[in-house]
Amino acid sequence: MKRWLLLALTALGLAMAQTQVRISGWGGPDTAVVSGLLKEVVQRQLDRENIRVVYEPIEGDYTQWLFNALSAGTAPDLFYVDIFWAESLFATGRVAPLDAYFSREEVQAFLPNLVQAFTYRGRLYGIPKDFNTLALIYNKDLFDEAQVPYPHQQDTWDSLEGKLRQVQTRLKDVAGLCLVADFARFGAFAFATGWKPFDAQGHTVLDQNFRRAFEWYTGLVRRGAARFAQDLGEGWTGGCFGGEKAAVAIEGAWIAGFLRDKAPNLRYGTTFLPLDPMTKRRGNFVFTVSWSLNAASKNKEAAARVLKALTSPQAQQWVLERGLAIPSRKALAQNPYFQRPTKEAELNRVVFLGSTAQGGNVYPFSFRGLGGDWMRPINEALAAVITGQKSVDQALREAQAALDRLTGRR
Amino acid sequence: MRLKASSLEALYALLLLLPFLFTLGVFFLYAFLRAMVFSFTDYNLFDPPRWVGLANYLRLVQDPLFLTALKHSLAYSLIVTTLQTLLALLLALALNRPLRGVTFFRTLYYLPSVVSTAAASLLLLWLFQRTGVVNQGLSFLLGSLPFLALGFVLFALVQGLGVAWWRRRGRALPLLDPGLAWVSLALALLGVYVLVQVGWVRPWEVRVDIPWLTTRTTFLGLPYPLWAIILMNTYTTIPTFMVILLAGLKGIPKTLYEAAALDGASPWVVLTRITLPLLRPVLFLVVTLGLIGTLQLFDQVLFVGGAGGAPLESTITLAYYVYGNVFPPGASPRVGLASAAALVLAGLTLAVVLLQRRFGVGERGWS
Repeated sequence: MKRWLLLALTALGLAMAQTQVRISGWGGPDTAVVSGLLKEVVQRQLDRENIRVVYEPIEGDYTQWLFNALSAGTAPDLFYVDIFWAESLFATGRVAPLDAYFSREEVQAFLPNLVQAFTYRGRLYGIPKDFNTLALIYNKDLFDEAQVPYPHQQDTWDSLEGKLRQVQTRLKDVAGLCLVADFARFGAFAFATGWKPFDAQGHTVLDQNFRRAFEWYTGLVRRGAARFAQDLGEGWTGGCFGGEKAAVAIEGAWIAGFLRDKAPNLRYGTTFLPLDPMTKRRGNFVFTVSWSLNAASKNKEAAARVLKALTSPQAQQWVLERGLAIPSRKALAQNPYFQRPTKEAELNRVVFLGSTAQGGNVYPFSFRGLGGDWMRPINEALAAVITGQKSVDQALREAQAALDRLTGRR
Repeated sequence: MRLKASSLEALYALLLLLPFLFTLGVFFLYAFLRAMVFSFTDYNLFDPPRWVGLANYLRLVQDPLFLTALKHSLAYSLIVTTLQTLLALLLALALNRPLRGVTFFRTLYYLPSVVSTAAASLLLLWLFQRTGVVNQGLSFLLGSLPFLALGFVLFALVQGLGVAWWRRRGRALPLLDPGLAWVSLALALLGVYVLVQVGWVRPWEVRVDIPWLTTRTTFLGLPYPLWAIILMNTYTTIPTFMVILLAGLKGIPKTLYEAAALDGASPWVVLTRITLPLLRPVLFLVVTLGLIGTLQLFDQVLFVGGAGGAPLESTITLAYYVYGNVFPPGASPRVGLASAAALVLAGLTLAVVLLQRRFGVGERGWS
């Protein structure tokens, strides 16, 4: 009896000596990934330091939950921050700067544009855990059936459009591409022309470069190379692609998991987005998520150690090998995983390289804290022109007026 | 000291009401007061609230999106409440008759109300796509107009000739004699079939291609996507109100109808002098619930705007405006502004319900 009591007291003492670090991210498929990562890599590293990680995945609207929790003082020590709303969150002062916990060398091990994405007013507020860019994914069977050569990385907007039109003409019930009225896809083409979302004064100007990309993109439906996604009963290009309603999709590596479930036998290949025929450059978005530290955390030192373990080379290698996400460390570019002859490895390689010089003009998916309000006028202009309700002139004039009101240009 | 019986009763009542009073106090009264205070500040969830007076309310009045949301909420509420009350009443009256299999029909007509708003919205998206059932149905209808017109002309011709022929033989047939009408219809259909086979009539090539959801085009001042939501919501809320009205109809004493029948009252007189006056308390409930429910329209706006791709200006309502400002995608919360809008919505709901109570259907049955 005495021995049991002694053991129990020792266990209690050990538990009390342990530092607990709470971490949170969104739920869904991520839950299995993070749980696996914690169990197989992270917790083992932390056991020696007596740190216990408690993982709380959030189902439902993560952003709402996090903003509420941070405001109420109940947020975990470490949490995901999406680049789309990072700036608004960092501006609140509820996220701790990480400069004190990470040396310059440690930070330099990550891809610079990702680090830049989580740098706000000269201070680093998040370590990128993984990222995505856009790639062009094509259905090999449909291209073979239509006897059209596969898209490749030398394709320009015009040559790709020619291929899409041929597929759509020859296969009748298949669209070349299913087009979405969304800046999250169209923006990459606007960037290719050299256009930037904001000028030096913080204003958005829909100039001639933007207009050229806009006319090409919205005209794809009229010229018989694409169909509007909503007309095919889909909300994203991956949905059309998985259902073989379209021969090409423009998505990131997240499409791999969807295709694994929806169409496991689909033969697909991946290449880069096409080049602007005038600038001979392409454009792309970086969609990325960081691990960030709660400014009100009582265990900042321990949390920073957990953060390091979660983004360590071993942790990122573990994630990469399972084909779950594209890790954010520079050194992984040379990883043998990317050279494997599988469709998913090819997709991940192209998405990884999309953030480098090969991606062309690459910008983070972030709009100076204006978020969805900034994208809305452009999305509506895209929809109005694609569905033939407005001329390009009228749609762009209205979008410009709305953006001027938003950014205070007039 | 012994408590009086009445005090003891009051104490018990208070004890039993306590859980309800607690939730009412915390989740309504406290929340309401907090929202009221926040509506006069620039609160963003993080920084301490700073008093800004009436600035949020002034900003609301100047925000075109808020004015659109206000207009949509009011119009939507008025149209849907009217439509759903009238149609639910008609349906309840029909299902209150002693018909064979009426229980089956009561179940059947109740079914739409058990569909969740998410599923109903998905259905709405399918129906109103550019290649959806609505556009295809309209295309078919317009394409078949030559057949319909020809059929109508042939029917009128045959019926006219038939009536004339019988009248000449001394039988005073009415113009739309049912027996003859069946024969005329059959002959008209045969005529259309023959003319189609010969190739004299062809269907029109009509392709209705209206983008119902991804548009800001308006009809009678309201955007198409909002009309689609109006149709869908009316369809899914009618059954619930039909059941309530049916319960009300069951409560009307049968003796009144028997007396009316003895006096030889027409169905219209029975409806307007007996049924409707005695149904007033239930109608009051239905209209009030309808107004409150419709003013808080939110889910469909989210679905039709998200998956349906409808522009925000075409579907936004006050409830969505409040939500959109508390959690703007990618931007900082604007809790002060949202609180002001929420209070406007609450005030509006109260005003509309009071107005309807004063000028609309009263709750007293025999007044």
